Amino acid sequence: MKNKVFAGLGIVAVAAAALTGCSSASGSAAASCTNEILKPDATQVSVWAWYPSFEQVVDLFNQNHDDVQICWTNAGQGNDEYTKFSTSIESGSGAPDVIMLESEVLSSFSIRNALVDLSAYGAADVKGNYTDGAWKDVSSGDAVYAIPVDGGPMGMLYRQDILDTYGIAAPTTWAEFADAAQKLKDAGAPGVLANFPPNGRAFTQALFAQAGSKPFTYDSAAPTDIGIDVNDQGSKDVLEYWQKLTSKGLVATDEAFTADYNTKLVDGTYAIYVAAAWGPGYLQGLEGTDDSATWRAAPIPQWDPAKPVQVNWGGSTFAVTSQAKDKAAAATVAKEVFGTEEAWKIGIEKAALFPLWKPILDSDYFRELESPFFGGQQINKEVFLPAAAGYSGFTFSPFQNYAYDQLQQQVTAVTVDGSKDASAALDDLQSSLEQYATEQGFTIK
Amino acid sequence: MAVPTTARDDRTRTIVTAGAGRPDRSARREARRNARVAQGGRRIGSHVLLLVLALYFVIPIWWLFVAATKSTGGLFSSPAFWFDDPMQLFANIAGLFEHQGGIYWTWLGNSFVYSFVSGVGATIVAVLAGYGFAKYRFRGRGFVFGMILGSVMVPLTALVIPQFMLLSQYGLVNTGWAVILPSLLNPFAVYLMRVYTQDTVPDELIEAARIDGAGEWRTFTTIVVPLLRPAIVTVLLLSIVGTWNNFFLPLAMLTNPETLPVTVGLNRWLALSNAGAGGEQVWNLITSGAFISVLPLLLSFLLLQRYWQGGLTLGSVK
Amino acid sequence: MATHTLTTPSRRRATGHARRQRVGWLFITPFLVIFAAFLIFPLIYAFGMSLFSSTLATGTKFVGAANYLKAFTDPLFLGGLGRVALYAVVMIPAQLLVALVAALVLDTLGTWLAKASRLLIFAPYAIPVVIGALMWSFLYSPRFGPAGTIFGLFGLDAPDFLASSAIFGSLVNIVTWQWSGYYMIVIYAALRSIDPSIYEAARVDGASGLQIATRIKVPMIASSMVMVITFALIGTLQFFTEPTVLRSIASGALPAEYTPNMYAYALAFSYSQFNYASTIAFSLAIVVFIGSFGFLFLTRKQNGLK
Repeated sequence: MKNKVFAGLGIVAVAAAALTGCSSASGSAAASCTNEILKPDATQVSVWAWYPSFEQVVDLFNQNHDDVQICWTNAGQGNDEYTKFSTSIESGSGAPDVIMLESEVLSSFSIRNALVDLSAYGAADVKGNYTDGAWKDVSSGDAVYAIPVDGGPMGMLYRQDILDTYGIAAPTTWAEFADAAQKLKDAGAPGVLANFPPNGRAFTQALFAQAGSKPFTYDSAAPTDIGIDVNDQGSKDVLEYWQKLTSKGLVATDEAFTADYNTKLVDGTYAIYVAAAWGPGYLQGLEGTDDSATWRAAPIPQWDPAKPVQVNWGGSTFAVTSQAKDKAAAATVAKEVFGTEEAWKIGIEKAALFPLWKPILDSDYFRELESPFFGGQQINKEVFLPAAAGYSGFTFSPFQNYAYDQLQQQVTAVTVDGSKDASAALDDLQSSLEQYATEQGFTIK
Repeated sequence: MAVPTTARDDRTRTIVTAGAGRPDRSARREARRNARVAQGGRRIGSHVLLLVLALYFVIPIWWLFVAATKSTGGLFSSPAFWFDDPMQLFANIAGLFEHQGGIYWTWLGNSFVYSFVSGVGATIVAVLAGYGFAKYRFRGRGFVFGMILGSVMVPLTALVIPQFMLLSQYGLVNTGWAVILPSLLNPFAVYLMRVYTQDTVPDELIEAARIDGAGEWRTFTTIVVPLLRPAIVTVLLLSIVGTWNNFFLPLAMLTNPETLPVTVGLNRWLALSNAGAGGEQVWNLITSGAFISVLPLLLSFLLLQRYWQGGLTLGSVK
Repeated sequence: MATHTLTTPSRRRATGHARRQRVGWLFITPFLVIFAAFLIFPLIYAFGMSLFSSTLATGTKFVGAANYLKAFTDPLFLGGLGRVALYAVVMIPAQLLVALVAALVLDTLGTWLAKASRLLIFAPYAIPVVIGALMWSFLYSPRFGPAGTIFGLFGLDAPDFLASSAIFGSLVNIVTWQWSGYYMIVIYAALRSIDPSIYEAARVDGASGLQIATRIKVPMIASSMVMVITFALIGTLQFFTEPTVLRSIASGALPAEYTPNMYAYALAFSYSQFNYASTIAFSLAIVVFIGSFGFLFLTRKQNGLK
């Protein structure tokens, strides 16, 4: 009896080992793909990306290319993907050939020599297809580290029905915004005007940028020099503005990207969502929407209506990693996967991406697109295209993840704990970032 | 059961002598009756306390079960602890088959495979090592065993990165082996096997076998192992559960969705749902997936209680 | 009894002894191979890494003990240590109390209700920690959790379980829920192995149930309790999974460096500072060693170890 038990266990073990060995084949990252490879003889390029509905874009590429095939997996969203990438850089293996990276982390990876300079692989050929601002974000000096994909020009999405109920006009300046918030509260509304999340990260940064903030000066041509200026007056004014609103309870301080937050976005707890162009797509996917909701889009409020400043929140790119086996093939993928009109139709309609690819960005199709979610409003024409047009690029630090974590801590101290004022918080942020940069061997300019 | 008194013995028991003198019969009966009456009142109180505790421990599991029967909309709109109308459990299960090509079941299968293979492997290794430590007096034994015990105190994060580098040298990262091989290491299982072997297998039995001419291996397999069966099953269960529950190791080692175990897979869905990218919010699949994934463990606990409880005591009552 | 006296007894004993030594080593070799490959070697590698410093700008260089000096003067590391020490002081007695009370009560009752309760109390151990944290994160959620309705029944406002002021208690609750059942089983088993005639004798002497529990049972299972506390201490000082899972909904209250293990993880995987991360992990290991050995030393009379 006991022998049988052990024999049985032994068989299970051997069978299981065989199964494991067969199913997850040995080798590095590109072993099995989520999509189907149509031409098995072609060079396979592994891609990590988290775009919604991306499989259709991949299939399209694979159908139209005979010499290169994409092998795609979703390795996680944002930071999750970045930590895997980080580990594989450190260990020297396991990275994909092409990786989706938000533009804010490009310098963090280029400084570790993890990205290939695409100027040697024909990046100049596609430069004309992208806006100047977009191209600046992926370049550093003469080097080009990624191909732009989508952007996040900012606008203001608002609940027309809620504002109408309380007789509030959609604000066009931040002063009007504050008044609207006060008016909403005075009228006894159950919700608040908007949310100012402590973990806003790039969102918070963008709001500061609208007031003229240029937090970092960095060029990978001189990789050990960095300029840090996060406690400029513009940033302080903006943070103080939001602190006033939050301390009076006119604006919420909920953490973004949690189940709670998602629901509050759509059920009317927040009347206004200051959002990027991918915001509408985000909203559409959320559960719990008010049936009576009427959403509209408007340009982002301005500090000075005579001198409007447009800003960007997010936006992603495709980079080729230094572990890519066939860099030319990988570069082809990066350049071409979102380089056709057909691919972009999928990206726009299914994934609600905002293209940085000029042929479709400038097209009438995109310009005149009527969004059913906004009651047929032509949101691109009225809001997001003008916002994108003014965009001239942005410089991030090579330790952006750390910088954002520090920013979050300071903002929490100001708006949630109420333990510091805006000015002191940003001064503290400045000194902690300077200290970190010095520790990391940078020279502060 | 004798109450041992030697100081060297691991059981620290005090000797309690019987009370001086024997009270007469009727007084004893009275005492017992009083005790039983007092006990009656206390029994109700004890049961209530137990019920309250049991409720506290069960409510979240009940929540999970109820949540697994709801659709995503229902999760957000209906009360937390009672069912929504209609029950969506089967729709959710169907959803688990559809979403991303039914990858949930691949995850579940992976969890099974990783747990069983590494569980069986770790058990075999631990049984061998436990026997070696228990019955052979070789030089360096104490030192090595002490090292093994000390290793329980090493923080995981210190090991994952170098383990990752080691395995990537052999191209094993992103395969099941990256989870199975490090999970073969179970120092606590070795400790348990050693203790049990020491207590259950008398030296004389082995000596007798040796004198009869049996080889060491034969002695082990035919005489010792059958005696160790309860402990072996317990260690097997503990190892399987340990690997099943392991989160950090597969999180770091595995990228390809096809290779993930169910804990990491569900966490991915949670991250995606929290981030809210369009069409990726699958709260109902997360809750039903989580519920289904805990069923095998809960059932094995129910059916194999004896071994669980037996095993956990091995370490404490030596 | 067989007699093999062809060779002199001492030589036979000597060769048998040497052979047996070898066999002993053979039996533990498979384990030692795995131990060396997946613990010793990685540990040495990680220790080596911890002696270097890899800056983003200027690459890797040897710094030796300077890294450890930096770790032990790092306010984030020390803050994290203070926090886990606080957790240990609160969480371990809480779990032990629940486990002890439950085990003592179960020891006196034999009804099927008691048996069912035992199983239910133990059940959370079967739930992976991640899933448990996931469940509690829903239950704590101001919107989707039942707190609003339950507190509403009493006409009160539900507290925000995820605010910085409350997060400590919320985490203590999750861990107590997850682990008390496990400790209860260990203590219960120890109680079950006590000879019941001792209780009889005590009852005859007029001891009440409570006195029996506190003066006889508890001291007799002291060694089990010490082992439970030691394992709980080691686990608590390495607190990682629950706060990490909860971070996704409460990152304001739970910064990346909330516990030393989380700090090491963030350093490695978020900020790409693998060397300093190894230093922090090692420093934590040193503290854990000292803590647990110190505790075992202090309780050397009760813990029954050789």
